[in-house]
Amino acid sequence: MDFMNSRRNFLKVSALTGGGILFGLVFPSFETNDTSTALADYMPNIYIKIKPDGKIVLMAPNPEIGQGVKTSLPIIIAEELGVDWKKIEVELAPLDNRYGRQTAGGSGAIRGRYADLRKMGAAAREMFVNAAAQIWSVSAADCIADDGMVIHKSSGKKLSYGELASKAVTMQIPANPTLKDPKDFKYIGTRITDVDVHSIVTGKPLFGIDTRREGMLFAMIARSPAYGKTLGNVDDTKARKVNGVKNVIKLKNSVAVLATSTWAAKKGRDALVIQWNTTGKLENSSDHFAGFKEILEKGPTTVGRNDGDVEIAKQKATKVLDVYYEIPTLSHCQMEPLNFFADVRDGKVELYGPTQVPDQLRNDVAEKLGINKDNITVVVPRQGGGFGRKLMTDNGVEAALVSAAAQSPVQVQWTREDDMQNDFYRPAEMYRYRAALTANELLAWHQSAVGIGRGIRGDSYVAGAMVNYRSDSQGFNSNTPTGWWRAPGACTMAYVAESFFDEICLELKKDPVAFRLDFFKKAKDAPVGRLGYDPIKYKTVVELVAKMSNWGTTPTGVYRGFATWFSFGSYAAQVVEVKLEDGKPRVTKVYCAVYCGRVINLSGAENQIQGAIVDGINHAMFPKVTFVDGAVQETNFNTYNFLRMYDAPLDIEVKFVESDEAPTGLGEPALPPIAAALGNAIFAATGKRLRRLPFAGQL
Amino acid sequence: MAKYSLSINGKIMSVEADDDTPLLWVLRDNLNLVGTKFGCGVAQCGACTVDLDGEALRSCVLPVSAVGKRKVVTIEGLSEDGDHPLQKAWEELDVSQCGYCQSGQLMAASTLLKSTPDPTDQQIDEAMTNICRCGTQVRIRKAIHLAAKKLNTK
Amino acid sequence: MSTKTKFILVGLTFISAFGLAFSVSLHRPTEKDYISISPLKNDSIASVEAFKQVYKVLMSPRCVNCHPKGDIPLQGDNSVIHSMQPKRGKDGKGLYAMKCANCHQQSNSPGLNAPPGNPNWHLPSADMKMVFEGKTAHELAKQLLNPELNGHKDIKMLIAHADDGLVKAGWNPGEGRTVPPLTYAQFKKAWITWLQTGAYAPAQ
Repeated sequence: MDFMNSRRNFLKVSALTGGGILFGLVFPSFETNDTSTALADYMPNIYIKIKPDGKIVLMAPNPEIGQGVKTSLPIIIAEELGVDWKKIEVELAPLDNRYGRQTAGGSGAIRGRYADLRKMGAAAREMFVNAAAQIWSVSAADCIADDGMVIHKSSGKKLSYGELASKAVTMQIPANPTLKDPKDFKYIGTRITDVDVHSIVTGKPLFGIDTRREGMLFAMIARSPAYGKTLGNVDDTKARKVNGVKNVIKLKNSVAVLATSTWAAKKGRDALVIQWNTTGKLENSSDHFAGFKEILEKGPTTVGRNDGDVEIAKQKATKVLDVYYEIPTLSHCQMEPLNFFADVRDGKVELYGPTQVPDQLRNDVAEKLGINKDNITVVVPRQGGGFGRKLMTDNGVEAALVSAAAQSPVQVQWTREDDMQNDFYRPAEMYRYRAALTANELLAWHQSAVGIGRGIRGDSYVAGAMVNYRSDSQGFNSNTPTGWWRAPGACTMAYVAESFFDEICLELKKDPVAFRLDFFKKAKDAPVGRLGYDPIKYKTVVELVAKMSNWGTTPTGVYRGFATWFSFGSYAAQVVEVKLEDGKPRVTKVYCAVYCGRVINLSGAENQIQGAIVDGINHAMFPKVTFVDGAVQETNFNTYNFLRMYDAPLDIEVKFVESDEAPTGLGEPALPPIAAALGNAIFAATGKRLRRLPFAGQL
Repeated sequence: MAKYSLSINGKIMSVEADDDTPLLWVLRDNLNLVGTKFGCGVAQCGACTVDLDGEALRSCVLPVSAVGKRKVVTIEGLSEDGDHPLQKAWEELDVSQCGYCQSGQLMAASTLLKSTPDPTDQQIDEAMTNICRCGTQVRIRKAIHLAAKKLNTK
Repeated sequence: MSTKTKFILVGLTFISAFGLAFSVSLHRPTEKDYISISPLKNDSIASVEAFKQVYKVLMSPRCVNCHPKGDIPLQGDNSVIHSMQPKRGKDGKGLYAMKCANCHQQSNSPGLNAPPGNPNWHLPSADMKMVFEGKTAHELAKQLLNPELNGHKDIKMLIAHADDGLVKAGWNPGEGRTVPPLTYAQFKKAWITWLQTGAYAPAQ
């Protein structure tokens, strides 16, 4: 790459971010064999900018939804680049294909970018060192880089990266820069505070909802009140008379009201008189569950895995444990209600708002509006939670359509009720578990599952450690939409499989920890078929959490539950402690051991684990969505109950298994096991086996 | 539309709004004080909490016409330099994840500390009823204790 | 003592309390007071019948939700524990930074799911909890009549309580909430009839 090329690239960044940067550095991505990232194409990439005053800006390439990547991704660059973390700035990168996969989902940001960002930082560092060596006419080997300076070891001469920038961009880009020895890591693995925390605690405008632009109109949209109903006649006479209402726009199946304030838009929207026609089936949750039961009694049609013969084992058994577990529909309820800013005028589209998939949003808007992708910019600010809701692009697309029709910059704001009725829900599911048992042996494990929209993905770790194992599943047709919800699949599978495992331990009078370790030993020594996990890692986290909690020595008045799960490349094992207060269980403490390879930011990583545990306790205990005639019954937090402070554990102790391996997922893996660990603790405390979520109403 | 003179963060601010407009939207849309957040619109989640004469008001259900002469403090006015003991404790313990609910949490906590300068865990549990889906409650509880310590050793 | 004797005693107690109220009343009686408390003849059957009507209202979510067993109000037509578990506090107006009025405004907040409002929104105070939740008609009638449990109300004050703003608010509950099973006028009539015909409690 030549200097001119880098200047052009810099100029493009400058235009995208709108900053007054006069000089910038760009560094290319690298050829990579890692097909898990989208960087296989040789494309220039932009991660490091240097401002005229020498200030170094690191770009965080993935959307920040609370998972901490705006902090942890730049830490990786900073580590190799050799800068003082306290002196750098961080910006969220705009959508630009040169950044590769700019998605928040699948606990994939750190996993996908660790190796590449290290190289990016190291290459830049070598270019600064080479630049200084040339200026001083010394050997680069005699120079070191640290805290944003290159130092000539023998003479002690120093030049800052800022001073070196113009020279550095003319340096050859190292194809294989030397990476730091991890034992010299200064930042990776330490506790680093979120880069935005000061802005957050002082109320700075960080979020999409905070967008305020000259001439912008505020919009609210009337959408169908039930799945199965579509837009009929619209009378907007009253809406147009509401003070502040400027425009009413009819979309395909919704009506937007545009006004000079959010409140006026809401009043206008609520004043619309709309006839909603029933054009599809109006579904009920009760029918979903009845349908599930019927399928499970008959036997689902799709076989996922079938080792040995569970039917013969059932005949040999002295007892077949046969139980059903129920999982309700859930909404996402990220705290920032959906919104999006769009400005579609003169064939150009500016989009600014919350999405986990900016690239997909651009594609979808290009298609809907018939506007070339090159004329669409997407900038994604910090987001008030994601949890999978914004893997769907409906909020951004809708805003673009409204702006295009109104020929005006528009912010579309959703109410909480809009969010709840127009979600892509975590699907309702039902599981049937059967275990063939003798007095002291588990002969077979048979997992059957049915859920709205699809079958169930995945298996428990018992698959691969059992001679007789079968999993089968079936999807269930519904016009209620489903989507991804934090730790999709794993978040419900772990609850049912690990609760059922506890039931088996009770039947066989086995210790839940020791019995699991037996399985990991079997999986290691004599695996049956494909093994979807590493039994040594599973064993390591289980043993670590047992040690942390002094498993086997439960204090008086405390009841414990255990569960473990592998997802998104990481292993989590948990012990939940509950006490009974007025006969009701209260979670007092949770222990969690995690095996996730190298930890980048200890504070952020711990926060993710603690947060996933509280999130998991919340959704195990309180909320559920019920459809009646296609309409969601729980449309706000007064009926969609959420955990509050008094339900949160007093303490959550987290330990990471020390590891030199590349990082694996972290935003999701601690959520799946917690519902089972909690349910198992509640069983220990009350003798009630809770096979239906949420628990609260059953206690 | 009517004109209202509101005392916000120590200044008298004049706004023109319909009398039923919730204070939340007056702050966000008329005054561009967007630190106060919209989360549910029905006083459930607490993201919109402001300090109104020392009480933790949920501004999404408080009509602007009912504010009167009462003094409003928003997150932007919690401290002059962002150094309220709660803000410092929040930073020190790296409380936030997505950060969206935290301004409401801080305003609820600041009113709690006014009436209860050294709250117990139970008092925190009873007073702090804001929702956080990220699950930062455990750190919030610790940060309130830390802030109380900072306040009481000042 | 037979049930009948008990009723007579209760009746006598309230006739005397009634008389006293006229002589030592702390507020100047208004015209409305005179009209509403023109005494009727004691009539245990009519009184008990009237209370049965009253009881239906008092046990409706609009009344029972703020007269809970514990220190946390109930909410919704299904009378579940109030979602963020606000506590009664000494004066019934909340605890620490969690006051009823933080959310319950002077009037109903507009919209589905939004909190109902009243200038005086509160629970009964901690020293006079006036629990309705779980009470039988007999228990509730006895409690309502006992000045030690009813906020030191004599019969006149009880009658006046039907005009309390917060009581009336039950019939203006905001969007998405049902009103009590009687109209307000029917309730008031039943309430006054009960008190004026001897305030008999239904049998246990």
